[in-house]
Amino acid sequence: MSRVQLEITLGILLVLATGTLLIYQGLNEEQRMAGFLERQEAQAIEVGAELFDINCKGCHGPQGEGTPGLCPPLNDKYFFTDRMTDVGASGSVEDHIVATVSSGRLASTRPELYPGNVKPAMPAWSEAYGGPLRADQIRYIAAYVMNWESTAPERGQAPVLAGPAVGTDIMQELPAGDAAKGQSLATSQGCVGCHVAGNTGPAWMPTADQPGIGDRAATRFSEPDYTGNATTPEQYLLESIVEPQIHIVTGFDTVQMPATYGQLLTAQDASDLIAYLLTLK
Amino acid sequence: MLKSLNFQDMRKKALIALDQRTRAITAGLGLDELRAVVRGDPPTEKPNPRYKVHTTSFLFHIRPRYYEKGSTIFAHTFRLGFFTSFFFFVEVLTGLILMIYYTPSPSEAYGSILELMSNVPYGQVLRDLHRLGAEGMVIFTVLHMLRTFLTGSYKKDRSFTWLTGLALLGITLFLSFSGYLLPWDQLAYWAVTIGTSMAEAAPLFGEQVNLILRGAPDIGAGGLLRFYLIHVVLFPLLAILIISVHYYKVSREHGISLPGKIEEGLVSPEVKKEAKQRIDFIPDLLTHEVFLTALGLFVMVAMVTVGNWHAELEHVANPQVTPLDTKAPWYFWWLQGMLKIDPAAIIEGLFSRIGLHVELSALLNSKQIMGIVVPTILVLLLVAVPYVDRNPHRTLFKRPLAVALGLLFTLAIIVLSYMGLPQYGIQTPAATRIIQDLAPEEGIGPIRAVPYDQLRVGVYEVSDTIPKNLCPDLNTGCPEFTRVFAEFSERVNEAATNEHLQPYQRMPNANAVLLVEDWQTDLRKVTLRIVWDDVTSGESKTYERHLFIHRNHGAE
Repeated sequence: MSRVQLEITLGILLVLATGTLLIYQGLNEEQRMAGFLERQEAQAIEVGAELFDINCKGCHGPQGEGTPGLCPPLNDKYFFTDRMTDVGASGSVEDHIVATVSSGRLASTRPELYPGNVKPAMPAWSEAYGGPLRADQIRYIAAYVMNWESTAPERGQAPVLAGPAVGTDIMQELPAGDAAKGQSLATSQGCVGCHVAGNTGPAWMPTADQPGIGDRAATRFSEPDYTGNATTPEQYLLESIVEPQIHIVTGFDTVQMPATYGQLLTAQDASDLIAYLLTLK
Repeated sequence: MLKSLNFQDMRKKALIALDQRTRAITAGLGLDELRAVVRGDPPTEKPNPRYKVHTTSFLFHIRPRYYEKGSTIFAHTFRLGFFTSFFFFVEVLTGLILMIYYTPSPSEAYGSILELMSNVPYGQVLRDLHRLGAEGMVIFTVLHMLRTFLTGSYKKDRSFTWLTGLALLGITLFLSFSGYLLPWDQLAYWAVTIGTSMAEAAPLFGEQVNLILRGAPDIGAGGLLRFYLIHVVLFPLLAILIISVHYYKVSREHGISLPGKIEEGLVSPEVKKEAKQRIDFIPDLLTHEVFLTALGLFVMVAMVTVGNWHAELEHVANPQVTPLDTKAPWYFWWLQGMLKIDPAAIIEGLFSRIGLHVELSALLNSKQIMGIVVPTILVLLLVAVPYVDRNPHRTLFKRPLAVALGLLFTLAIIVLSYMGLPQYGIQTPAATRIIQDLAPEEGIGPIRAVPYDQLRVGVYEVSDTIPKNLCPDLNTGCPEFTRVFAEFSERVNEAATNEHLQPYQRMPNANAVLLVEDWQTDLRKVTLRIVWDDVTSGESKTYERHLFIHRNHGAE
């Protein structure tokens, strides 16, 4: 066999082999594309989780449980079932999330539950409207929020109190408090989001520069620049919870804390919480 | 009337008509001749119709009628030039198809790649072939040049061909580099940011060049469009032009060089006579080229299908987040390596050894010298090679200096490339290094590679004893997870206890923890945290990274 013939033979075999490989690949393309799509969706959720962790958890909670009076829960069955009808939104829930995150909300749609304390009620996050996030990042966040849909618990629309709300009278006599219950309230009421995990509000825990909130409360009301009405540490803490705007701690310009806790806590809750805070020296 | 039809006559006429059509298409080869060509038989007519093709056909007129047998010896050329142009054609063909699916805009580009991968049959194959071809083209261009240098084929009337070859090396590198940006992922964005910032080092016009390339101070919509147009219009046109010049010189002016020892008569006259024999383009070389093409296509297709070679795709480009370990494309690592050398510091160091104190860093800006001056000198050296080297000999042993310098140059590029790696010469603190190695910001890394079900929820604290099995309650255990945790533990313990390490590599009193939390449906959060005392200040420091891992993320 001459070299030319050998090369023609081998060449034909190679072309046939290449064709076979391509046909084999082609038979699996549907599956490959479906697999890629699945991985792509999984990665969207991963990236969304990271972005949510950086941008959203301060208000909507690390697990989307929301902050009473300030931000509605997202990890909530109502959010995925009836919310769209209630606000009259069209399209899919995911589109609704993208639209809301992008442009924010000028005013709360449920002021009785989430009055907030700043305007807008939710800032715009899309860079198109002056926010920090790109369109694709907002899509990722929506993918992450949507991943709660199948497991979201029913959180109920309004908080049900075990007794009358504590109100805003700081001079009232409170029942004896339980620090352990107070600690769990601090988590369930979302306090830790701003005061422990983040730095949106004054830190409760002791740091290098200052003691814990318990020690600070003991002296704060007697300081000359104090603008509130408290005369005991307990009163000072109660005042800070139910009327946060009355005294702004040095280092903070505005009050971001909702002024609704007087309606969200019973006298017992408030007392437990105060007992817990006083233990943080 | 039927009687008047002569079938034999008709058959003959049909054959003649067919033959004529065939000749018109093949530029002169009749049916019998074609048969002889594929059978490897000698020409059937005189004058040789196979030569006529080279004058009548456009595509064949740029091909030589014959090569000398000696110049086709495999070990002389290794077919490197052939494969370089083969890759170029692969790039043109796959590139033309890829253009259909691509949108050159920052908001669309990455999405169009995802769409290509998830919704276009053979989309991944096309993308992989295009990427593989680009890498192949760079590799084969460099090897082709090295071969030309070692066989001394740049001498005398081939010196201009060497120059066009150098221009093609530059075009190849920039074609590949400009394509790097187009997927608009983190890899692309930061590699190109690094690449273009090198241009910035040039005095006087550096900033302008950078601005023209990027279209704005940072790469954005303008920069992407410019790189796209450079990649699909300007450089391909330039490449076609210069490849034509380069090839025309080879095929029409001086041919492929004979091996040096044959040309210089170091072999017996019989061997030389045989080497001077002509090998016709049709059929021998044409067959060979078609065969090589089939071989090349087979290897490429096999690599991207069953060979599991795939073009990377990282997360979408984020100008606000520079990933750790950012690097230029591999063929520019040598340049990155060079930028890590500070000539002023070296000279100052030399002077201080003999007791002199000099201050050179103000005079010698290392970014300008190593990023612009030295590379320019290197390019000029390559340009000057055929003009400086007046040694008429071509065999290796008769030009020891040139060969030694060439090998030294190659070695220097390899060493510099190694120095360009992010692991070299950059003092990444131990905690960052360990966590980045286990859970890199981009790409997979060991932790993401652990099967999802092995990532058991829990708090795993690093201690002196390294656990043999992290999940004894599982029948199959969790070998991969245990292995990754063992690696984490060993590296933390090493940094905590080994006092011979550099200060930045040490972490006295290190406490490390690996946390796995169930976060959402099919989503777990993994936290890696190291707390240690700073070597110099003694202050407690913390470094941590959170990873969200989804069951279907596909890295397992």
